[in-house]
Order: sequence, then C-alpha cells, then structure tokens
Amino acid sequence: MSSPAIIQLDQVYAHPPAAVWRALTDPVLHAKWWAAGDVRPIVGHRFTLDMGAWGQQPCEVLEVEPERLLRYRFAAGTLDTLITWRLTPEGSGTRLTLTHEGFNLDSPMGRQAFEGMKKGWPGVLERLGPALGA
Amino acid sequence: MNDPDVFSALSNPVRREILMQLRKGPRAVNDLASGFALGRPAVSEHLQVLRKARLVREEPRGRERYYHLDPRPLSEVGDWLQAFTHYWKQRLAALEDVLDEESRE
Repeated sequence: MSSPAIIQLDQVYAHPPAAVWRALTDPVLHAKWWAAGDVRPIVGHRFTLDMGAWGQQPCEVLEVEPERLLRYRFAAGTLDTLITWRLTPEGSGTRLTLTHEGFNLDSPMGRQAFEGMKKGWPGVLERLGPALGA
Repeated sequence: MNDPDVFSALSNPVRREILMQLRKGPRAVNDLASGFALGRPAVSEHLQVLRKARLVREEPRGRERYYHLDPRPLSEVGDWLQAFTHYWKQRLAALEDVLDEESRE
C-alpha cells in the first residue's frame, strides 16, 4: 500500500495539448481558472499561488515536459503535496490527468487546509461537519 | 477536525500494511508479526498506535490478543480527500471555460 492519500482525476478537453499547456503555464490564463501566481514551466522555478482564504502557497516546479507533463510541489509547510498534470493527445483534443498526492499525513496538515476550505468552498465540507466537530 | 492521530497512524507504511492485513479478519499479534521482518515488540507497538487512533480494537482471547480493523476513522480520512476531489473537479470544469474562451479569440 503506497500513500493512502492520493487524488487522481482526468478530464478530456476538446482543445489541443498546446492550448491546455498554456492554461497550465501562463499566469494570466492560470488565474482565470485556478489561482493567481507566477507559474512558469521551468524546473526549479519557485512561485506562489494566491489561494484566497487559503493564503499564499509556495510552490516549486520539479519536472517539465512541454505540452506533456508539469509537476510541482504545492503548499510547502501546510499541505505540502505534489501536483502532477499530464497531457495526452486524444483525437483532436487532450486528456488532462491530475494527480494530487503526498498529503503529509504525519503533520497537523488538516486543520489549516480544512479551515481554508470551509471558508473558500462553502458546502463542499458539509458531509464532514460531524467529523470536524468530533 | 479528525483526530490527528489517525493521520499520524497512517503515516507509517508498516501500520498501513497491518491495516491491510486486518481487512481479511481479526488476527493475533504473533500471527501478524510473523508476516513482518520486525520483531513482535515492534509490531505490538505499531498496534498500540493504531489502537489509540481508533483504527483497531483489541480483543483478549485466552492468552492471546486479537486485533480487529475499525474502518470508521478511515472513512473520515476518505471524506477529507473527497472534499479535495470535489474541489479539483470544479477547477477542471473552470479550466474548460477558459479554454473555450481562448479558442474563440
């Protein structure tokens, strides 16, 4: 059993990998769908994502394969996880696979993330209410 | 908040493996320990951590102690991750809107 905490999602977009890659690596576009920050597809590049209620989250690019793969460390010091975006051409579009892993289960990570999530995404955590109050 | 002990308990690969073993049914310490390259004392110690995190229950049977998996705290962790999954789904949907917008320009 590897890490018990891994999230993997994929979605197919009717857009070529180059367009999806731009949305992942161009700060202006990136801010439109996720968070503002100086993301750049350069290994070793450090940037900060503005996660609103979650605060400014430091990130560091670990791996880059243009139009195929972008991996960075996300939220060092709080969630301290690894985000990997994989792009695979599919017909005239792109399958984008997100892997969010490495939740540091040995830290009191949950509290900050939970608090941020509660503020930022009302409703998402409703089911968690009982667990949070315990 | 979930009892953080659950997260700490799960942070160790030996403890995760113990939980996997217990999915097949309750086991005695000696029996469990035989499957690990660790001595019985080390396995016992891991079991105590799991017990404090409410992930296993102890049941004395004669001279032996049997350990049962309690999946409830695990489902709390699952809920926690579920919330993240939901979050990411929203983000991926938002990305689609951005791509549509860009391709129209």
